[in-house]
Amino acid sequence: MAEDGQNYSVFNSRMLVDVVGDVTDEALKASRMKDVIGVLAGRVFNWGQRKSLFPLHLGIKCCALEMAAAGASRFDAERFGVFFRSSPRQCDVRLVNGPISKKFAVPIVRLWEQMPEPKWCIAMGECAISGGPYFQSYNVLEGVDTVIPVDVYIPGCPPRPEALIDGFDKLRQKIIRIGVDVDDVRPESDAPVIIGDE
Amino acid sequence: MGKIVSASVQKDAAEAIVTSISEVAGIKAEVVERSSGTHTRNVVVVNSSPTSWRSLAEKLYSDHAVDYCSMITGIHWPEGDDDRKWEVVYHLLRTGVRDPPSEDGVVQPIIVNPSTVRGFGTPVEIEVHVHLTDSRTPSIDSVQDIWVGADWNEKETWDLVGIDFDGHDGMRRVLLPHETPRGYHPLQKQHNLRYHGFEEMYDDAQGFMRKPDDVGKIK
Amino acid sequence: MAEMWISMGPQHPMTHGLWTLKVKVDGETVVDTEPDLGYIHRGVEKICEARDFTQITTYCDRLCYASANTWSHSYIYAAADLLEVEVPERAEYIRLIAIEIQRIASHLMWLGAYGPDIGNLSIMVWCLREREMMMDLLQELGGSRMHYNFPRIGGVKRDLPYGFAQRARAKLKLFLNRIQEYEALYDESTIFLVRSQGVGYAKPEEMVNHGVSGPNLRAAGVNYDVRWAHPYSVYSELDWSAPVERSSIKGADCYDRYRVRVEEMRVSASMALQALDKIPGGADTHYEPEDPMILAKAPSRAPEGTSGAHHFEDSRGESMFYIAGGGEGRGKQPYRVSIRSPIFITIPFAAKCMIGYKVADIPAIMGSFDPCIGETDR
Repeated sequence: MAEDGQNYSVFNSRMLVDVVGDVTDEALKASRMKDVIGVLAGRVFNWGQRKSLFPLHLGIKCCALEMAAAGASRFDAERFGVFFRSSPRQCDVRLVNGPISKKFAVPIVRLWEQMPEPKWCIAMGECAISGGPYFQSYNVLEGVDTVIPVDVYIPGCPPRPEALIDGFDKLRQKIIRIGVDVDDVRPESDAPVIIGDE
Repeated sequence: MGKIVSASVQKDAAEAIVTSISEVAGIKAEVVERSSGTHTRNVVVVNSSPTSWRSLAEKLYSDHAVDYCSMITGIHWPEGDDDRKWEVVYHLLRTGVRDPPSEDGVVQPIIVNPSTVRGFGTPVEIEVHVHLTDSRTPSIDSVQDIWVGADWNEKETWDLVGIDFDGHDGMRRVLLPHETPRGYHPLQKQHNLRYHGFEEMYDDAQGFMRKPDDVGKIK
Repeated sequence: MAEMWISMGPQHPMTHGLWTLKVKVDGETVVDTEPDLGYIHRGVEKICEARDFTQITTYCDRLCYASANTWSHSYIYAAADLLEVEVPERAEYIRLIAIEIQRIASHLMWLGAYGPDIGNLSIMVWCLREREMMMDLLQELGGSRMHYNFPRIGGVKRDLPYGFAQRARAKLKLFLNRIQEYEALYDESTIFLVRSQGVGYAKPEEMVNHGVSGPNLRAAGVNYDVRWAHPYSVYSELDWSAPVERSSIKGADCYDRYRVRVEEMRVSASMALQALDKIPGGADTHYEPEDPMILAKAPSRAPEGTSGAHHFEDSRGESMFYIAGGGEGRGKQPYRVSIRSPIFITIPFAAKCMIGYKVADIPAIMGSFDPCIGETDR
């Protein structure tokens, strides 16, 4: 006779999943299929990542107009898989296109933290590379790479939309080189994430 | 041909303003011709003392239909005479704009013919220079209640140059970050364009560790 | 109902530019607003105190990047006032052509960005297609796609290139036909009409007291325009009139502001075509750079005590430069450059216009005032 609360299901699904998982893992490792699947899956993910780079819809200054022109009908960037997203949680490329002032330094780091891995950053235009013509100003950071790790630099003031598309191409080549899993290439930033502040 | 306001009509309007405001004590006014390389324009240039600025502003607004405050500039002259260390330059315009009338519920737009404006409809430029004496905190009367367009101009002048405005409601930083240290006004001449060393202005040159300065003022 | 402050923060697809609009909402209705600027404050006014007069032109292009030519010309007229130069007439015509084509490009950018705010995504690519045409013309004149550094103190940097007149006429005539397509797309769309009519009323006298001018003011039934009120350049030689919209009793709404800008594009295109016909020396002759027909010799120093100011009709309102001479290098650099940006003054007014409407009307109202934050934050 059963008592209250006694678990009748000998068939505990959680345990079943663990057992089956371990057995399959051992089998794959023994037959070396795991490496093959790992390499194939990595290649597929890499291909998927680099062919559909979603930048953030953030326009800081003049290079934003060239970014918009790159997305428009003459230099259509969407045919390269580049589609602008409004929320940082849904994008994988940060396109920094203007000078970073002291007031904007905190939001830009926060936007970078909000992007999920894997993520890359492109510094577009002179102001994002080094401060640009405002290099000596009291309010402009000397380049966005003082606060965010940058992968590709696109010089120009402003760079032509063709240069921006070429920059995306260079980023694609970099993704092939370093792979999608970037934890070992770039260390975690240690600026704290403050949710709900301001 | 495109019609423009003729220079002579503007000159007459400018002279009318000059004769009228020269009666206020502490005001020196004259009509100056400016060209900018093309047409000559006649501008009323006024030198006012700080104490008579407020009455001059009220007189311009009520008697001469000066309805548009264009820009307020603050300048720091550390090498000037003692009573000319700070200068505030006001640029005002008379636009001659009135609300269009409505007949039977339909608004009739006012299409001004530029070649036939006269009187209080003539657009005039007015430039007022006010020199302030040397002080760590120079201040001048605010005209925020006369022209609402002066509101943010005054905030920006205080923010960047450091000239305070008496009677201004809600003074706060508008262009510099809100947590900029009190007393730092970059356009004063003793400040460098950029501080690289970190002993110079405040401890962190990139400004990450500052506390908010006007906590209660912004919502 | 619960009231709360929502921060439409610096990164937002609706705000044309980088600024924060804090909105206090009571349910769905906007009760109070507060704009927060300064995210791209570069300190241009302080930088200009350390630059020569010719070097400052490059900074002025980058003030309002959507209409770069109008800002560099605004600076050049003020510098010409300070240094007291006489500009040759052919140079004025070339400047006028550049300014008016830039005004068309700026309004096209606004029109293309306003559509997605309302929900019409195809207008963006159509307007940017025309803007590319205008930018090609300006690239022939100035050398680059966006920041041309085109005027010089005393004239212009280069004359009209060979064949420019023919290409400009063809493109402007094509453009005048294309404007009808945009009007059709907007005016026949019920959603656009419902979202932009009856929203964001503003009356002219209130606008003038707040310092708003330009197309925002002309949408309310008054035709105040700095080009005829404080005349400069050769606008008196051309046949034009500032476009005005008949507004409603409560003032101008977003639909009026949209219509005024479309009419302004037509007026600017016709002005550019007339200028190509009337230019002294003919539009097909080409003078070398630094020829006295297009560039007059200008002094490069302004002694202390001099000052120059100029009011200019920018695509967004009345912009102004005030330059005080007597800076470093015995007057080779200015002592103080002060910049008046129309949008710096329009943004608090637009924020007040929003009170009483719904949250969904915020993009429509904000977009219709055409903010460009580069000039606001200087």
